[in-house]
Amino acid sequence: MSESANTAQPAVPAPFLLRRLHSLAGIIPIGAFLCIHLTTNASIVWGRLGHGGVETFQHEVNFIHSTPFLLLIEVFGLWLPIGFHAVLGFYYAFTGSSNVAHYGYGANWRYTLQRLTGYFGFIFILYHVATLRWGWTWLPFASGFDAHTAASSTAQAIQGGADTSALGGFLIGALYLIGVLALIYHLANGLWTAAITWGLTISAGAQRRWGFVCSGAGLALAALGVMAFVGFVTLDLEAARQTESRLHSEIVNADTPQIAPAVAENNTTTNQSER
Amino acid sequence: MTTATDTRTRTIKIKIKRCDGPGKPAYWQTFSVPVKRGEGANVISCLQYIAANPITDGGVATTPVAWKSGCLEEVCGACTMVINGKVRQSCSCLMDSACPNEGDTLTLEPMRKFPVIRDLFVDRTRLFESLKRVKAWVPIDNLWEQGAGPKETPDEQQTRYKLSECMSCGCCMDACPQFHQIADSAKWQTAFIGAAPISQVRYFNLHKTGATLKADRLSEMASQGGVSDCGNAQNCVKHCPKSIPLTESIAAVGRATTIHAIKQFFTGK
Ligand code: HEM
Ligand code: SF4
Ligand code: SF4
Ligand code: FES
Repeated sequence: MSESANTAQPAVPAPFLLRRLHSLAGIIPIGAFLCIHLTTNASIVWGRLGHGGVETFQHEVNFIHSTPFLLLIEVFGLWLPIGFHAVLGFYYAFTGSSNVAHYGYGANWRYTLQRLTGYFGFIFILYHVATLRWGWTWLPFASGFDAHTAASSTAQAIQGGADTSALGGFLIGALYLIGVLALIYHLANGLWTAAITWGLTISAGAQRRWGFVCSGAGLALAALGVMAFVGFVTLDLEAARQTESRLHSEIVNADTPQIAPAVAENNTTTNQSER
Repeated sequence: MTTATDTRTRTIKIKIKRCDGPGKPAYWQTFSVPVKRGEGANVISCLQYIAANPITDGGVATTPVAWKSGCLEEVCGACTMVINGKVRQSCSCLMDSACPNEGDTLTLEPMRKFPVIRDLFVDRTRLFESLKRVKAWVPIDNLWEQGAGPKETPDEQQTRYKLSECMSCGCCMDACPQFHQIADSAKWQTAFIGAAPISQVRYFNLHKTGATLKADRLSEMASQGGVSDCGNAQNCVKHCPKSIPLTESIAAVGRATTIHAIKQFFTGK
């Protein structure tokens, strides 16, 4: 092997490095974030079983917003990796030409769907982040996110934003449901292909077994995604806003200790929520 | 076989995508061909009939259809073409199963990813250039006595035997959504190389003397158009007539290339 040093090679060829970084970015941080994000969002439903989904979700959002250097984490941990993965993803997707018309096999369909869900997922992520994070409420059917009224503002956005016609609710609802499921498919199938890309699953049997694991993970994530979706679509905005203003005043009151004893008697119902 | 009266003859239709030469437009012609059951008629024998009787279904006299074939037993790959939309060898496509009934139609097209020279005859030079790209050989050229070759376990032998069966037919490339037809031969060096040469990298790297060139082969795999351009559509393995485990080879070479790149990162070579 030592004989082959006759030609000088670049340390690691750039095309290879980019491919591997693209694959890695899809899993960490993007894929890992997607899992956390869906779990947080699903709390709107399972919270209802306990002391109120609106409260649980607000608690989660407060926790996230109390993270130090949040913007830096978002920029370097999410937006840049997603941008990197998406730009290269588009480029890579354009280097292929799907031939499922002639070769309609399962794996070939998954290959094609991986690219289609990438395109659709990109549009969805852009709309989702632009409206709920960057506050681009001028986009059609958009309304913004407010960290103090986390659940109601999220629910309003998914229910069609400022637009109260059935059309807005339907279109945005469809965008969210399809977008979330598309990205979950993209992640699950991506985990399957990544194991081949990196050479973890080599034998056909290993690839099949890992396929079951990825399908299971995908179905679990899809369950979380649908839970969150149903939870926000069916949320009663007025009731949620009342809960949120109560939570907000509790926090304000807690910050001013001299009046705390006076309100303590009124708070017997919410004391159970450990906050 | 001496059957006097023949009740087993049927007439089938062969629809062919033709082309008079490189860069010329393609056009379709249909021919009626009589075949006898039980005589092993295949696409090649039908093409021979058409060559002897170059008259279309509409009764128009035309030029004989050009094609290529060699072994007639699915070991040379020369006769590869697209049959009923899917790529395969035409010599092993038997009419008794492909067109069992009177009036059945078979569609023939040239391979999609290699330039057409004429009709069903394509130029697969790129495939052989790809094998050079990955140094698909065992370097033993020397002026002195080499002695006995390295020992090989039966296990390794079994794995390598399967990989050795590749006949460079190009089916795996023709069916691949990441592999495209490229006219300019200068671009072959950086275009996606396809499944067969990736599998050959594994094959020659598994050989103890062949492994002398392992680093070169893996560097080629890490370069533009190497193993990471594969998108895991896995059509290749479905269409390899030799049932070569191409997707396993792709994953194995992916692993080897990962390790090779990490080594390169830390040692610089
Ligand atoms: C939530 C967002 C996303 C996640 C979690 C994600 C995750 C992944 C993962 C894990 C892979 C597998 C990598 C491999 O096979 O080695 C992948 C591949 C891919 N992604 Fe994404 N991705 C996301 C967004 C996008 C977007 C917006 C695009 C834009 C079009 C995109 C395009 C692609 C393409 C084309 C591939 C296949 C690359 C190849 O096989 O060479 N992805 N993704
Ligand atoms: S697995 Fe890779 S080489 Fe095989 S058909 Fe798919 S993209 Fe092509
Ligand atoms: S790997 Fe199979 S399909 Fe590909 S060239 Fe070799 S024999 Fe043909
Ligand atoms: S003629 Fe050799 S494979 Fe068909």
